[in-house]
Amino acid sequence: MKNRPLLYTSYAGEMGLLNTRAKQLSVGLMILVALVLPFVLDDQWLSLLAICAATAIGAIGLGLVTGYAGQVSLGHAFFIGIGTFTAAVLSGDPNGRTLGFGITNMLIWLPAAGLVALVAGIIVAPLATRLRGLYLAIVTLGLVVIGEHIFAEWSDVTGGLGVGRPPATLDVAGYHVGVTDSVGTKDQKAYWLMLILLVVFALAARNLARSKVGRAFTAIRDRDIAAGVIGVNLPRYKTIAFAISSFYAGCAGALLYPLIGFIEPGSFNLGMSVLYVAMVLIGGAGTISGAIAGAFFITLLPTLTRQLMPLLPFISESSDRIPNLLQLQTILYGVLIIGFLIFEPRGLFGIWIRIRSYWKSWPFSY
Amino acid sequence: MTATATSTPINTTTTTTIATRVRDRALATPKAVAMREKDFGIWREVTWAQYWQRIQEVGHALLALGIEHGDRVAVHSENRREWLYSDLGAVSVRAITVGLYPTNPPAEVGYLLSHSGARVLIAEDQEQVDKALEVLDSCPELEWIVYIEPRGIRHRYENSKLMAWEEFLALGRKHMAEHPDAVAQRMAAAGSDDILTLVYTSGTTGPPKGAMLSVSNVEFAISALVDGGGFTSPPPGPNDILLSYLPLCHVAERIFTTWYNAGAGVQVNFAESVATVQPNLREIQPTILFGVPRIWERILAGVQIRLASASWFKRLNAKLWTGVANGIADTLVRTGGNHTFGSRLRYALGWLFYYRSLRERLGMSNVRFAASGAAPIAPEVLKFFMGIGVPMHEVYGMTENTAVATGNRPGRVKLGTVGEPQNNTELRIDPDTGEIQTRHGGTFVGYYRDPAATAAAMTPDGWLKTGDVGEWIDGTHVRITDRAKDIIITSGGKNISPSEIENGLKASPFIKEAIVIGDQRKFLSALIGIELETVGEWAQRRNIAYTTYRDLGEKPEVLKLVQSIVDEVNSKHAPVEQIRQFRMLPKELDHEDGELTATMKVKRSAVGKLFAELVEDIYG
Repeated sequence: MKNRPLLYTSYAGEMGLLNTRAKQLSVGLMILVALVLPFVLDDQWLSLLAICAATAIGAIGLGLVTGYAGQVSLGHAFFIGIGTFTAAVLSGDPNGRTLGFGITNMLIWLPAAGLVALVAGIIVAPLATRLRGLYLAIVTLGLVVIGEHIFAEWSDVTGGLGVGRPPATLDVAGYHVGVTDSVGTKDQKAYWLMLILLVVFALAARNLARSKVGRAFTAIRDRDIAAGVIGVNLPRYKTIAFAISSFYAGCAGALLYPLIGFIEPGSFNLGMSVLYVAMVLIGGAGTISGAIAGAFFITLLPTLTRQLMPLLPFISESSDRIPNLLQLQTILYGVLIIGFLIFEPRGLFGIWIRIRSYWKSWPFSY
Repeated sequence: MTATATSTPINTTTTTTIATRVRDRALATPKAVAMREKDFGIWREVTWAQYWQRIQEVGHALLALGIEHGDRVAVHSENRREWLYSDLGAVSVRAITVGLYPTNPPAEVGYLLSHSGARVLIAEDQEQVDKALEVLDSCPELEWIVYIEPRGIRHRYENSKLMAWEEFLALGRKHMAEHPDAVAQRMAAAGSDDILTLVYTSGTTGPPKGAMLSVSNVEFAISALVDGGGFTSPPPGPNDILLSYLPLCHVAERIFTTWYNAGAGVQVNFAESVATVQPNLREIQPTILFGVPRIWERILAGVQIRLASASWFKRLNAKLWTGVANGIADTLVRTGGNHTFGSRLRYALGWLFYYRSLRERLGMSNVRFAASGAAPIAPEVLKFFMGIGVPMHEVYGMTENTAVATGNRPGRVKLGTVGEPQNNTELRIDPDTGEIQTRHGGTFVGYYRDPAATAAAMTPDGWLKTGDVGEWIDGTHVRITDRAKDIIITSGGKNISPSEIENGLKASPFIKEAIVIGDQRKFLSALIGIELETVGEWAQRRNIAYTTYRDLGEKPEVLKLVQSIVDEVNSKHAPVEQIRQFRMLPKELDHEDGELTATMKVKRSAVGKLFAELVEDIYG
């Protein structure tokens, strides 16, 4: 039926991934713009955007468990670490200083990284099925502490604290993405790769969210007892939530460090977990696009603050002076989280919702 | 006949009925959508083939229950697929469909069932079954009550007359397997004199009367109103979409739902309930929209209320373009509905900022023909819709002439008139009484079991007395003054038509009911009922606290508001036609309490009696 966007004659139509013309057009347009960006921006920006995209995959993962299923997890850094090291070990140099198996194909190490993290998630999940809220947050915090210790001590795999090891190589079935060639510079190619992966992961998550599993997640988030009463199998769906979230985290870690170029075992700490929680909250909990927006925003924030430096002459760039850039950034994170929670609890996505409903309700106000 | 022809249950009947029309559509376009109904959030589609299959099952089931030619089958339900299955199923076995209003209280249900002598009642749910069971003793001819929704009935009610819809259909399927040609044979025997339906008129005076409409009446109506474009011009077709939401037992909705569907293949969509008409309209975005004045008034009031609470910028935008729309409407009224270059230009601009989105919100984006009928409407209401780009036409007809009388045609609209006589229709205005009379193939057969009333409704030379007083405008269009029996003659001897004044009042979003009084009195007065929703909102914005309907109506601020509306309407009328005093109705008028008819028309006599104290207070 033409020109009748609200008329659904099947559930499939109503729950469609992109169920309105406006969504189809805007998503298509955004992907198109993103694809041609490499011809406009210089490589420094592209490399930053590629990192954003990889980070966004991790944020989507946390968004699934925290935003959709409502299970607050501070252990995200742990799962990211597992994925990172799995990929690095698999594709590492067999004759190198650290453990390595020489399987450089991304098509192998990426799923492997995700799966190992997923298994870790399943092992942890029983905790989540018994605990909730603050208690769960504290337990997952313990996970990060354990992880930090293992990563610091198991130097065969991680290279050890302060030393680190090289990450996985970006090599898709024999084609090196990380090397400049006739197709494009290494940053352009890495950007395209990350963009495509982000689209795939985001659509998969969106697809999950609209399915029976996604509805079970939101039911658990809104009230787990009520969800149990209406027939949602709580242990099962909480386990699924943790498993999938860990899978996303593992993949994100495996993809992120090849872009950065080096793994520092100490970086998988509480600070990283909190950063991801901030992405989900600032972006908008319970939405995929919100998680992506949050990841881009938080990742780009340091660069943006540096761009602002000329406007703030009293802030120093060197870290031994006060006030300096690093302090400004840290304070900014805190202010942003507080600000968003107070003024825009639904995050960046909430702002979009507000704009959208203003025009959607035109010419009335509701 | 060849062997293959006898094995298929489809014969060519000589007489076209609405049942054969559906059958032919099912053969020609089996997969096309005939109707939709919203069920658990999804508009389920029914194809013509499925529709026809269901009609046959119902037909066979009725045969299995022993329904003979001319037996009455009553349907007591909201608009839904089963209403049409039952109606057409009954027609296919030459039985007579009798529609009951879902709002009918038990006493009226008892009257209608016993008066019509229905043998089978198809009741929607527990509520309607309860009403029938309550009056079962007074309906000796009623043999079966088929209930559509089993909730609350199955396993709980013990009555040998009860039968579930599923059982009913299973009975039909069994009968169909045993006698595959039975329905087809019965259909083939149908004649144009067969009574097809009894339509009980709402009866503002006395008990309802059952108008008998025959196959030829309905075919005439289809030729005039559907094929001839009498109610929708250009004529409707299979690509047209409409929403069915007014009671199907009323002749108007029966035309738009059943006959448009069978006659022209229009896709019918059933609204979930009367309360969800607005959201359903928005989803369906019909191409043809028929409404009674009350519906149009409500939509207009809804727009005004929602605009009043919009943000300042949106209010400003609406104010600007409403002003422009008034100008456009003035032009359209002058030209009979044809756009001029200037009005088209203004509309195009406003379309960008206001009209497009407003029409989308109202569910009128795709409306190509809107019609108002069944009661008089204030011209200001029609003008509003014309201004925002909804092609609005007032039409006129009544049950007794199968709703074939007059209609405004696109491009020849005269505001304040009900339009020009339909094709093949004779219409005259009695020079003595001013009464409108019609004569054509749609004139009803008579009132069921009431020859006296039938005789009173007809002139000796075969004209139908409509009971409406009217006049010719420019020799082509008809303007209706009022119902003959409603005309007020003041003690000063002045003839006054109350409906015009009442509609002027009701055009305000704050007034739901207005009853003008003044017969044999010195001056005119009015009983006024407020619209709870809008006045409540209005009061809230002014921080006026209230408890009940009555409390709100008696607030001095509200009285002042109503006075200002009355003054405004008075300013448009001559001094004798002005309302000197008014009183507020202490309650909302209701069908169950006998103050309104099933079609929500005010029963003047009942209201006059019930609120006699108020009236005496005015004149006393």
